[in-house]
Amino acid sequence: MLEAVAPSPLAPADATPVNVKWLRIAMVSGLLVLFFIINPLLTYAGVVPDYKLNFLGKYLCFAIVALGIDLIWGYAGLLALCQAVFFCIGGYVMAMHLSLLQGGGDVRPEYNNIPQFMFFNNLRELPFFWKPFVSFAFTIVMGFALPALVAGFFGYFILRSRVRGVYFSIITQAVAWGAWLMVSRNEMLMGGTNGLTNFNKSFTTERSWIVGLYLTTLVVLVGAYFLCRAITQSRAGRVLLAVRDKESRLYFAGYQPLSFKLFAFAVGAMLAGVGGMLYSPQVGIITPQNMTVVASIDMVIWVALGGRGRLWGAILGALVVSCIYSAITSDMPTTWPFVQGMMYIGVVLLFPEGFVGMWDKVEARLQAHGWTRAGLTAVPLVSVSIFALSQALGLMPKALEVVIIDSASIGKIQVKYFILVGLIVSATIVLKFLSKRDAHRSGHINQPASPGIAGISTEGATQ
Amino acid sequence: MSEGLSPVSTESTLAPAEFDADLDARLSHIVYLKDVTVSFDGFKALDIKEFKLHYNELRVVIGPNGAGKTTMCDVISGKTRVAAGHVYFDKQDVTHERDVNIAKLGVGRKFQTPTVFDSLTVYENMELALPGKHGVFRSLFARRTPDERDRIMAVLKRVRLDSEVHRQAKYLSHGQRQWLEISMLIVAEPKLLLVDEPAAGLTDFETELTAELLLELKGNHTIIVIEHDMEFVRKLNSRVTVLDNGKVLADGTLDQVQANAEVIEAYLGR
Repeated sequence: MLEAVAPSPLAPADATPVNVKWLRIAMVSGLLVLFFIINPLLTYAGVVPDYKLNFLGKYLCFAIVALGIDLIWGYAGLLALCQAVFFCIGGYVMAMHLSLLQGGGDVRPEYNNIPQFMFFNNLRELPFFWKPFVSFAFTIVMGFALPALVAGFFGYFILRSRVRGVYFSIITQAVAWGAWLMVSRNEMLMGGTNGLTNFNKSFTTERSWIVGLYLTTLVVLVGAYFLCRAITQSRAGRVLLAVRDKESRLYFAGYQPLSFKLFAFAVGAMLAGVGGMLYSPQVGIITPQNMTVVASIDMVIWVALGGRGRLWGAILGALVVSCIYSAITSDMPTTWPFVQGMMYIGVVLLFPEGFVGMWDKVEARLQAHGWTRAGLTAVPLVSVSIFALSQALGLMPKALEVVIIDSASIGKIQVKYFILVGLIVSATIVLKFLSKRDAHRSGHINQPASPGIAGISTEGATQ
Repeated sequence: MSEGLSPVSTESTLAPAEFDADLDARLSHIVYLKDVTVSFDGFKALDIKEFKLHYNELRVVIGPNGAGKTTMCDVISGKTRVAAGHVYFDKQDVTHERDVNIAKLGVGRKFQTPTVFDSLTVYENMELALPGKHGVFRSLFARRTPDERDRIMAVLKRVRLDSEVHRQAKYLSHGQRQWLEISMLIVAEPKLLLVDEPAAGLTDFETELTAELLLELKGNHTIIVIEHDMEFVRKLNSRVTVLDNGKVLADGTLDQVQANAEVIEAYLGR
């Protein structure tokens, strides 16, 4: 899912070298085969537990949201802190439809056609705004349109006055806060703080449903990627970058940045809504807890870690961070905020461009020094990704799950965490040493190319 | 010129005698500033009785620092609101128009510090400058045409940026950025080009090329150039307007204004 070099009427001066191209093709096709074919097959074979695939499906929903955030933040430069609200609009819309399908499950027929929470609230009839959600088609249309319309409405009033930067973020955060307060009220008839649940149990328990929903989410994610890619590679995508660079200059080129920003904001909200629509059936519950201010910030962190302004970075960020979140919170739950904070600080300090930046470095080293050095550079990114993936699929070898330290306050620290941190740190140290040696050599002896470590010739060194 | 008559005559409430002179000025000039004042916190940055610019004229505006040269550009392009007076552009009253709309009417602008879009390539910068409708959906489905490419490449070749087509603008040198911005202005084909200090920070060679460019545009474009560099102004060989303290001090050829006692006073007398 790497972006190709933008098509252009003139051949770009620095076309992608062949080995980098092959590396990209191998990566992308490998990941596609893994997610589309191997994961479902492993589930059917019983190697990957059903609930793990169900979790992975949930993370794919997050990746769809992250794509939308990247469009708004990475391209148009607007840090919106209310994406969880749009996510929940989609989630609630689908949840309303599903709870109507399910009915109350009550023996008394007069209660059986309304969701359970309603007769706890002394309702006997379906509220008017619930009625159209009986229709699946209406639900889907609303899941797409409602987040975009809400984003369009708020966005118009916020952006019209040329509010930008941190002020925009603060206002959107206030919107998130307000929406959370509102939905938490029982009077909203949306289930209050308990949210909506009690959908068809088979969505989360039956293998065919789990695999079906997982694959649906995956297809939607790929579709969302290509939608975003089409937008970012069109002239409108370049206008979005121009908005990020120098909005004031655009006025004098005859562009109205407002409409471009609104467009990006609405598309981003729509993608969040789509992610939410796929989320609630796979998780079986949606509550106002999903739309807190913190939930929105977590979503932004996915994109920050993945790498802004590059679509596949957003996807990778959402997946990896979610997988690590799930690993840490099951092994040592109290440490998650610290781990999240350290990851954020570490990436911002070492790789301001996130996972995308790490990958760019791999490609650069591949061109400059060949495969060995590139492989070494890839160690942090690859080990984190493999860790996240095997954790997500429940394929972590038992030997790596031996508990080394069992602390009452932290939890059970296993071998795998030591190995992960050890790999990243040692790779970083070796690379630092190698680049120092290179600098030393090129400084004193004018040697054109380094011989590579371990005597392996550095192919493609002069690309 | 009859097409401009109807909107003007319906909205005007001026007395007949005054009306005719005013109307004539509006219709025969592309830019007409009438009694324009701009103040910042009580300080009068601009106070122009009258400024008229003919179609297809190249005018150089000079003046000491703080004379109001850039403010005048800001007023014409809608960046700054006037406190009083009227701004007419191409027979229309644009005094209260927003910057975007004025740009759409055909006022193109180059800023004092070169302002290009850093993360876009040279070519993409030029593409955004192309004239036409600039709505979201048109931009989403815009196709690159050979005709556009030829036009863009012709301009880039002229400013020697054709070898940098795919380079991101942030990697360009200062002079290249100046030229890119001028190129964006040229390819946009505005009715009026506002060029603010095109020679600032350029080498002699670069200055020479910039002057040549502007002279090539002279005659079939309307241009206002703001400049400090007298050598450069002399090369342009055009009518000069001198601003000082926000007022028009003198008007004429460079030699005439340089001989003007008031101008000498303004430049040297403090």
